[in-house]
Amino acid sequence: MIKPRVGVYVCHCGTNIAGVVNVEDVTKYVEKLPNVVTAKHYVYMCSQPGQVLIKNDIKELNLNRIIVASCSPRMHEPTYQTALEEAGINPFFFEMANIREHVSWAHINEPERATEKAKDLIRMAIARACLLEPISKMEVNVTEKALVLGAGVAGITAAYDLAQMGFEVYLVEKESHVGGHLALLNQLSRSRDASEILTSLTQKLSTPKIKLLNNSEVVEFTGYVGNFKAKIVQKPRYVNAKCDLCGKCEDVCPINLPNRLNFGLNQRKAIHLPLPNSYPPIYVVDKENCNGCGNCLKICENGAINLNDKPLEIDVDVGMVIVTTGFEPYKPDGEFGYGKYKDVITQLTLERILSKNGPSKGELVTPSNGKSPKNIAFIMCVGSRQESCDNQTIKPINAYCSRYCCSSTLKNALLIKQNSPESNVYVIYRDIRTFERGNEELYRSCRASGITFIRFKQDVPPTVEKTSNNQLTVNVKDYLFKVNMEINVDLVVLVEGMVSRNDTDDVRFKFSITRSEDGFFQEAHAKMNPLNTFAEGIFIGGACQGPKDVEDTVLQASGAAAKAAIFLCRGKVVLDLVTATVDEERCTGCAKCVNVCPYKAIELDETKELVQVIEVKCKGCGSCSSTCPIGAVQVRHYRDKQILAMVENILPS
Amino acid sequence: MDLRKKNVLVIGGGVCGIQSSLDLADMGFNVYLVEKEPSIGGHMAQLDKTFPTLDCSACILTPKMVDVARHPNINLLTYSEITNISKGDRFNVTILRKPRYVEEEKCTGCGICTEHCPIEVASEFEMKLSTRKAIYVPFPQAIPLVFTIDKEHCITCGLCEKMCEAGAINYDQKPINMSVKVESIIVATGFNSFDARKSGEYGYGRYDNVVTGLEFERLLSAGGPFGGHLARLSDGKIPKRIAFIQCVGSRDEKSGNLNCSRVCCMYSTKQAVLAKEHVPGVDIQIFYSDIRAFGKGFEEFYRRSENEFGVKFIRGFVSEILEDPDTKNLLLRVEDTETEELIDREFDIVVLSTGLWPRNDIELMEKTLNISRSNDGFFAPAELQLSSVIATTSGIYIAGAAEGPKDIPDSISQASAAAMKASISSVRTHIGGITDD
Repeated sequence: MIKPRVGVYVCHCGTNIAGVVNVEDVTKYVEKLPNVVTAKHYVYMCSQPGQVLIKNDIKELNLNRIIVASCSPRMHEPTYQTALEEAGINPFFFEMANIREHVSWAHINEPERATEKAKDLIRMAIARACLLEPISKMEVNVTEKALVLGAGVAGITAAYDLAQMGFEVYLVEKESHVGGHLALLNQLSRSRDASEILTSLTQKLSTPKIKLLNNSEVVEFTGYVGNFKAKIVQKPRYVNAKCDLCGKCEDVCPINLPNRLNFGLNQRKAIHLPLPNSYPPIYVVDKENCNGCGNCLKICENGAINLNDKPLEIDVDVGMVIVTTGFEPYKPDGEFGYGKYKDVITQLTLERILSKNGPSKGELVTPSNGKSPKNIAFIMCVGSRQESCDNQTIKPINAYCSRYCCSSTLKNALLIKQNSPESNVYVIYRDIRTFERGNEELYRSCRASGITFIRFKQDVPPTVEKTSNNQLTVNVKDYLFKVNMEINVDLVVLVEGMVSRNDTDDVRFKFSITRSEDGFFQEAHAKMNPLNTFAEGIFIGGACQGPKDVEDTVLQASGAAAKAAIFLCRGKVVLDLVTATVDEERCTGCAKCVNVCPYKAIELDETKELVQVIEVKCKGCGSCSSTCPIGAVQVRHYRDKQILAMVENILPS
Repeated sequence: MDLRKKNVLVIGGGVCGIQSSLDLADMGFNVYLVEKEPSIGGHMAQLDKTFPTLDCSACILTPKMVDVARHPNINLLTYSEITNISKGDRFNVTILRKPRYVEEEKCTGCGICTEHCPIEVASEFEMKLSTRKAIYVPFPQAIPLVFTIDKEHCITCGLCEKMCEAGAINYDQKPINMSVKVESIIVATGFNSFDARKSGEYGYGRYDNVVTGLEFERLLSAGGPFGGHLARLSDGKIPKRIAFIQCVGSRDEKSGNLNCSRVCCMYSTKQAVLAKEHVPGVDIQIFYSDIRAFGKGFEEFYRRSENEFGVKFIRGFVSEILEDPDTKNLLLRVEDTETEELIDREFDIVVLSTGLWPRNDIELMEKTLNISRSNDGFFAPAELQLSSVIATTSGIYIAGAAEGPKDIPDSISQASAAAMKASISSVRTHIGGITDD
């Protein structure tokens, strides 16, 4: 082996590191370690001058190992590896010592001990670097098709963008209709009609490039970036495209059920059209509740119904995946009288009531008696901005702001006030966050319209009760005017926040992505990479990443489509072979590793009595290596000897 | 299809223009990225740390800047301006390459010239809180790392020319007009900070220790004028009491901007936390009317700033600031809406959380691009389009703060969205751009 010639570069990271760690002292110490040819420190190693410093040294000092002591490798390992490549050495002759997150940030008040720890970490890094080997690359083709998960506004937008670029898209939707929560809304901001927007979106689905799979779920997902395989199960809707929406089936169906999409405000039949403007415009049978009487079959003149339809299994190959699974509305069960009093509803329910295709055809009525309410109170931040407080919280804390709700509330409050100026509308809020374009004006219009704004503090939340004469009452302490108010109301609207979907974990494990603290899917970087995940080839967009309104959702969806389009346009992806490798001389073919591999990337060759690694599938996780009783399976770049060299160097000599 | 034959113009090299350019170039398009200033990076390059994660701004931005510089599909044209756009079968764009008086191909960025330059000029990058030379790079991590002579201040003494080993100095350089044909255009020209002088009651420009948000950012920054040691401008003393006044030039009829600037609540909260880290025990009070912590992780950060760092949030309206002429301390007259009292309080530094305004040259850009603006002065999305990146002229897309104030993640998402729409438009130019419906 060629003798290692190590260059060590200590980064100040502005004052992030140099404010705690004595970088000069560290550099002097490192210089004297074995194999080290040069050691330098610089204010920002990741900047262009920092990288040029490394590249020049590689050429001039003939370095063959580079160590940068700076931040976590998550952000900058690729940065430096590219610099190595440009200087003509294998990018894997590189090692990072994390002296920011692990040293200066963690030990901010102990500069001397932090400096010593930085030295230890760099010494370990050098020990490992000397034993590193070059890693080769493999180029694989990308299947020029994408899978988009969830056909809400985000999914449809992303799918259509990719389709317009000429790529085929499988758009998989759990429900029997598309549009997600948009389909339930009455209006978006600036009085835009939600159903018109839905129609303009669903029209896009007629392109042959998009294969819409309703009633469907991905049940199996395997493969690697550029070459994923998904098994999709499509449940039958028992009605086919011959359906002409005549509605006779519905008339004769004997089964009445609360209409879930109208939050139980009316009833639907077992055979039904989910919403009047549903897409695809085909009835569906709720088989769980169907009694199989066959009335619908008999009356259908088009022969569109077949109650014996079976689920379909569809296998697809795709190169990229965009996850746009959306959110769930927070359910305020037991809070503010929700569930106890009929006239305490959520804002999404109000949207259904106000919607022309809703249960009351757009007429504002109270659920209890169908009369139009004169006094309406909105209570905001329900299920958002929660802090642990003793008086009412019964559920997990949603500390975050749900972002969409202020503007959405004001839009509805103003709509009600304008439609019936004699009504009294109360908005009970904490902060008004109308930050979107034009919505500050909406807020001003609300103030001018005579809507009453009441500001409360989190620790003195409003309460909702019924008095002895059956009058719904909101009690609230106005924090600005210091008065306790008792407001008699006919309708209370709880403005519910957005929460992550129930099936988030299912999706997360299937697609190997992660969740952030707030429960939503986690982006690769909160600032710079909001659309990528840590899984290559899997992108996120819309409310599954965090609460947002339709406009921001659309932006993220197109952005995620752009990320997928990068790979699809290139048609190729380069993989680093940081993968498992088998020492054939020593392998006994016990196959313990085969059983633990989560990616099915290792197979037993029974004739040769040894295992083989399928390199494109291997993700280098190391499960095999740690299972092998004799150390015959090793992961390149993380060989036992490389790791043990670090351990030996941290122990006192 | 060979996308390298399809050209896209990106105007503005801030974080948004950078992201759009990288996405398009990664797809395979040939990108012209035009930036007015000598370096790309925009406002983000001036930031110390970013909310809510406190990631250091340079650490996360500079790699993307470097990626732009070495991308084979990006033609980076800094210190350049768009002077004309006409639409034929494609857009014909005229780009003025302003003379740097330093030859870009020859300059190695070594900095010997600047060491010897005798002229000191207030540094725009440092918000004029410190100086640069007449031959300069705006900041050490500039891309490209090429010096520029500020001809307005240069006395042509010839020292830089004498010292430059690469022979890169060329006092006779002339402006060059170049023309390119592009399939589509992304406008990512960003914003200007509100000119706080317009809010006279706060004394900005008259009182030494009243600073804007962006100035305070530089004061906090390790690379800033005080090397990251927080001090006040009048006497260099370490501040004990700092006030932030929110909504300066936002949500304010008097200033002429009714809209929310979306970032000020969070940048003030972040700066307050950073100041607490710089000066343990410093008393910080933020005077606000609504705290708008609406993005991912923002509310959590806001709560932490109050509970963990002890930043005080006071819902109150500051009517006036008076300066003590001897101490240069600042007396704030505040109506505290909680106690309904009019109170007077003294501070060492007052930070005005200045809002985001359309760029000063936006009218000129509007004419050149032939696209419309909204009531708020920013570029307007086409009416009835669901996607806010689609401008009123087909083939032109808007992203980032050029379309309205927004934070970094929202700008970046929008940048990628604009890249998506521009790429669709470019491969389908024959039908003249795209619409949303």
